[in-house]
Amino acid sequence: MTDTKIAKMTAKDVHVFYGDNHAVKGISLDLHQDEVTALIGPSGCGKSTFLRCLNRMNDTVATCRVEGKITLDNEDIYDPSIDVVQLRARVGMVFQKPNPFPKSIYDNVAYGPRIHGLAQSRTDLDEIVTVSLEKAGLWNEVKDRLDSPGTALSGGQQQRLCIARAIAVNPEVILMDEPCSALDPIATAKVEALIDELKGRYAIAIVTHSMQQAARVSQKTAFFHMGDLVEHGDTTDIFTSPKEERTRDYITGRFG
Amino acid sequence: MNDHTVKAYDDELRELRAIVSRMGGLAEDQLVGAMEALNEFDTDKAGQVRASDQALDQLEIDAEKAAIVVFARRAPVADDLREVVSSLKMTGLIERMGDYAKNIAKRTLAISEMGPVAIPQILDQMAREARKMIQDVMDAYVHRNANLAMEVWERDEVLDNLHNSAYRTILGRMMESPEKIGVLTHFLMIAKNLERIGDQATNVAEQVYYTINGVMLEEARRPKHDVTSTELVTDD
Repeated sequence: MTDTKIAKMTAKDVHVFYGDNHAVKGISLDLHQDEVTALIGPSGCGKSTFLRCLNRMNDTVATCRVEGKITLDNEDIYDPSIDVVQLRARVGMVFQKPNPFPKSIYDNVAYGPRIHGLAQSRTDLDEIVTVSLEKAGLWNEVKDRLDSPGTALSGGQQQRLCIARAIAVNPEVILMDEPCSALDPIATAKVEALIDELKGRYAIAIVTHSMQQAARVSQKTAFFHMGDLVEHGDTTDIFTSPKEERTRDYITGRFG
Repeated sequence: MNDHTVKAYDDELRELRAIVSRMGGLAEDQLVGAMEALNEFDTDKAGQVRASDQALDQLEIDAEKAAIVVFARRAPVADDLREVVSSLKMTGLIERMGDYAKNIAKRTLAISEMGPVAIPQILDQMAREARKMIQDVMDAYVHRNANLAMEVWERDEVLDNLHNSAYRTILGRMMESPEKIGVLTHFLMIAKNLERIGDQATNVAEQVYYTINGVMLEEARRPKHDVTSTELVTDD
C-alpha cells in the first residue's frame, strides 16, 4: 500500500498455521484511525483468523501458530513484554453473537473500567458508563433500567451493549467479527449507523459475510481467498471496478 | 420523507440532489447569458458562455460518480432507486440544455461578424418561455412538486407553437432577402436550439414526476405541436 497516513495497526507478512493447516498466507494490511476496513471472502478464507491475530485471540488456540509482524502504534504486539490483557483493552472485539455478561446493563459496561482501574470513584464510573452507552447509541433506550440484566435486551440492543462494553475501556482499535449476522435488518441498520459514527474515533476492522454490508459500512475493503489477500483498496473502487478477476467473481456472485 | 437509519446514506443522496440543482441553475444562467450576448452582439459574453459550458460537463461527471457510489454501496430500492436513476437521466438532459445554450453563443460569434442585422423578437419570447420551464421544473424537483412538473410538461406546447411561428417568420424573411440567408439560417437554428431546451425541460419534468409518483409520465401522450419538420412552406 502507498498510504501516506500513518497506520494505527500494521500487519506485515502474517502467516497463521493450525497444526499443518496453513490458514493465512502472508497477509500485509494496515488499519487507520478514521477508517472502517471490511474483510470479506468465502468461508474458510482466513479473514476471521486474521482478525483474531490483531488482538492475539488466537493465543487461546493450542495448535495455532502466528508468524510475521503485527504492530500497534509501531509496537510489536507479539513481543514477549506485551501485556495481553492490556492489549485486548486497546484492541477491543465484538463478536458474531451478542455475548453480554449475565450481569446488569450497568455492570456489563462498568466491568472493563473496573478491572483496568479506569475510574477513581463511583462518579467516574457512572460517567464512563453513561458516555459509553451514549456513544453506542443505546443510552436513551436503557437509561431508566440500568439495573436490568443485559441479557434481557433485544438482540440488537445486546450487540450495541457489547459495543458499549468495548468502548468503555478506551480502545484504539475495534475488531468486529460478523457483528450483525444474528440481527434483523433494522437492528443491523442501527449497528451499521453506529459503526459509521464510531469510525472517526477508532480504527475499525469488520469481518462480514454480507458483501452489501461491506459496501455500506467500510471505506477500505480487503478480499480474502484461501488464505491470500487477493485485493485491498477503497471500498468504492472494489465495488465498482475491482482489479482482480477473483474479486469480481466473488462480489458479483459468480463463485463463493 | 423519513431519514435513513444510516445518516451517511442521506448525505450521499443530498449530495447527488445538490449537484442536480446546481446544474439546473447553471443551465438557466447559460441560457440567459447566451441570449444577452446575442441581443447585444457581445462577443466577449458569448465567449464566456462557451467557456462556462465546461462546468456543466464536469458536474455531470460528478453526478455520475456520486450515483455509481450510491448504487455500489447502498443498493438503493423504491423511491431511492427511482431518485438515483432519474438523477442520472436528468443530469444528462440538463447538460444538453447547456450544449444548446453554448451553440447559441457560438452562432452569436458568427452572426456578429456578418454585420448589422435585426434579431427576430420571437427568439426572446422563446427564450423567456424556455427559461421559465427550466426554473419551474427545477423548482418542482427541489420541492418534490409533481403537479408543477406536470404543468411544465404540458407547457411545452407553448414553446412548440412559438417555434412554429419563429420558423415561418424567419423563412419569410429569407424569401424577402435572399442575400441574408446566411445569418437568417443561424436564427433558424437558434430557434431550434430554444425549442430543444424546452424539450429537455419537458423530459426533466417526466423524470421528476416519475421520481415522486413512481409512474412514468412518458406513458401518457406527449404534447406534439412542433410541426416544422413536416410542414411545407410556400410563398403564398
